[in-house]
Amino acid sequence: MADPFTTLGLAPTYSLDLASLDARYHELSKVVHPDRQAGKAPAERRRALSLAVDVNSAYRALRDPIRRAEALLARRGVSHERAAPTPEFLMEVMELRESLADARLARDLDRVRRMADDARARRARVTSALGPLLDAGRDADAVPLVAELRYLARFLDEVRVIEEEAGA
Amino acid sequence: MLFDIFDPKAAPRPIGIDLGTSNSLVACVRDGRAACLLDCDGAALLPSVVHYGPHGRVVVGGDAARLQGEHPEDTVTSVKRFMGRGADDPETRRLSSLRFATPSTPEEARVVRFCVADRVVSPVEVSAEILRTLAARARDELNGVGGVVITVPAYFDDAQRQATKDAARLAGLEVLRLLNEPTAAALAYGLEKKQSGTFAVYDLGGGTFDVTVLRLDDGVFHVLATGGDSARGGDDFDRALAEARVLPALGVADPGPDVRRLALDLARQAKHALTDHAEVEVALPRDGAPALVVTRAELDGLVRPIIERTGAACRRALRDAELSPTELTGVILVGGATRVPAVRAYVRELFGTEPLCDLDPDQVVALGAAAQAELLAGDGAMDDVLLLDVLPLSLGIETMGGVVDKILPRNTTVPAEARSTFTTYADRQTGFELHVVQGERELAADCRSLARFTLRGIPPMPAGMARLEVTFSVDADGLLHVSARELTTGLVQRVEVKPTYGLDDDAVEQMLLAALDHGEDDLAARRLVEERVEGARVAQATRQALAADAALLLPGEQATIDAAMAALVAAIDGDDAGRIHLACEDLQRATHAFAGRRMDAAIAAAISGRQLGDVERSVEGAKGVEAHLAAERS
Repeated sequence: MADPFTTLGLAPTYSLDLASLDARYHELSKVVHPDRQAGKAPAERRRALSLAVDVNSAYRALRDPIRRAEALLARRGVSHERAAPTPEFLMEVMELRESLADARLARDLDRVRRMADDARARRARVTSALGPLLDAGRDADAVPLVAELRYLARFLDEVRVIEEEAGA
Repeated sequence: MLFDIFDPKAAPRPIGIDLGTSNSLVACVRDGRAACLLDCDGAALLPSVVHYGPHGRVVVGGDAARLQGEHPEDTVTSVKRFMGRGADDPETRRLSSLRFATPSTPEEARVVRFCVADRVVSPVEVSAEILRTLAARARDELNGVGGVVITVPAYFDDAQRQATKDAARLAGLEVLRLLNEPTAAALAYGLEKKQSGTFAVYDLGGGTFDVTVLRLDDGVFHVLATGGDSARGGDDFDRALAEARVLPALGVADPGPDVRRLALDLARQAKHALTDHAEVEVALPRDGAPALVVTRAELDGLVRPIIERTGAACRRALRDAELSPTELTGVILVGGATRVPAVRAYVRELFGTEPLCDLDPDQVVALGAAAQAELLAGDGAMDDVLLLDVLPLSLGIETMGGVVDKILPRNTTVPAEARSTFTTYADRQTGFELHVVQGERELAADCRSLARFTLRGIPPMPAGMARLEVTFSVDADGLLHVSARELTTGLVQRVEVKPTYGLDDDAVEQMLLAALDHGEDDLAARRLVEERVEGARVAQATRQALAADAALLLPGEQATIDAAMAALVAAIDGDDAGRIHLACEDLQRATHAFAGRRMDAAIAAAISGRQLGDVERSVEGAKGVEAHLAAERS
């Protein structure tokens, strides 16, 4: 898949202005979306369709703080898939997940939510620390933070499953 | 106007249809405004009721509803609940006066069927009758119908969407797009109020519940998340009231279909009356029986558990959109069932805001569908509007142990595509089966089975050598398409689709032929109309393109296009469908390079945010290259 920054014609920076990302996405969609191809020849419709698929997927990638970081690292040829966060962080996440499992068994939805809020606050902190590192080209320092974000995302996914299980 | 001049060559108009569980509507944009088309009695709503009589007689709408009392088993109501459902669906075991056919083969079991009068019909055929009636209403009013947008609940799965499209095909309609009902409502609302912001659309219809969170921004309707329940709605209120109060009051030990039908009717009347009154007396057709008194508080108590079940979907949609209720600009109410005061009270509680209901909740979906039809096939007056909608339910493949591997998560903006690579597990294996499911659960058995795709023609190789790349694409209608390629040889594989539910193409084709009384004549007439519509659309699009971007034309290109255009216009004036088709192709060939340049320029303009003048200059440069290449070739 093509680099999402190139697909959307945006400068490759982590500290992207989300409002202008949306604006760019909407402008491009107005050109390539299947609804805009009425009266076009089949070959043109097909071309527009594949562009629309790429534009949608690039937008989704850049909207996501983790995938945006991954896209930047991929552009620079930095491998990041197997990067691990610090051992301290891993210990902490392990404890967090244990107490999440406890809260779930105790059907303590309030506690689950408080933990989720903490995880979200932490995610926000990591994301804002990540931006300057990536934009300064300090990729080696950025990679463990991306791994941290992945762990936090997985934790929040579990929270979501618990909330849905509880019908909330 | 003194004379209503009928012009057989006048351009057919695109229409929008809300194919509802209880009622259906048709609307059209005229003079820049969407309006519902009325029947000869001035009614916009067509009850979604189809009655089958002896000798192939079919009655649709209010007349069918009136025949229902006498012939409950031959009259199909709420057919939408059965769209895309198999014969063993739990829906067939709920309170209903219909007789279900017992399937004799596994193929037959893929579709639920009703025994009515002297025949057996599928939900697709019943829905096609409703669509035909609405299309006839539109044809009476407009000079012709040129394509239709049909709304479906946002939460409809692939099989339910496909069934809706099949019904339209059977009714002889060209489907421009399937449009999600809440998105249609938001479109109508947004165009009317010209307000931007983030909205939730709470849509409780007769048989379905949808919630959609979307952002309205400068003409773009961007759906962020959708959720719901395609088997929950106002009909459930009637059932609850009928079972709890009306049936006991009727005092029949083992109620047959006619008594059940009567109980549901009385319950519905009571529900409607309780919208404006705190208490209602229901007269029972039983000698000496006192009238049944139902209070609003009683109804509220009965329906509250049903309404509360919509809360989980609302909260989930907000979570998926990463929003809290306080971040919403407003909540739009859609669907007749949102008239029930208990529903409004619940929505107020849930979102912490007074819901917006200033557009008629019955009509707003049809109006939005008409607006979308105009966008897709109209004269381009609404070019700034765009709908970005999503896949409502995750798509996945069943893997080892029955676990689902998600390939496209719910709320992915469509059109979307995902690729997965598979390999063979046996030597010289030439076929491969994939089971595609839709839903959020971990196990395939808990999700809805969509189809089994069999890939054939894999070149024989040792196990694990072949690399099959399978592409799953979801189009703007929310429908899935699958294609496959073997990567080591680059061969495109043949994909056979066995839908788990619903009709296959052959079955639809058979019904189509059977439905046409005069077979070939009808087909020819229909083809001429379709070619004229398509031809007019291509001509119009070309004219607009020329008017907007004449600067992108190469020397001599204009003359070629003009000639092809004149030929097409002449062909449309004639009666030869084949000639129109060829003229259309010629025009498209003549404009192909120009169209490519236009799209490149538009993308460049969107990306650079530059003024058009700058783009034209850079395109001048591009034309230079093109001309240079052309010169080299010659």
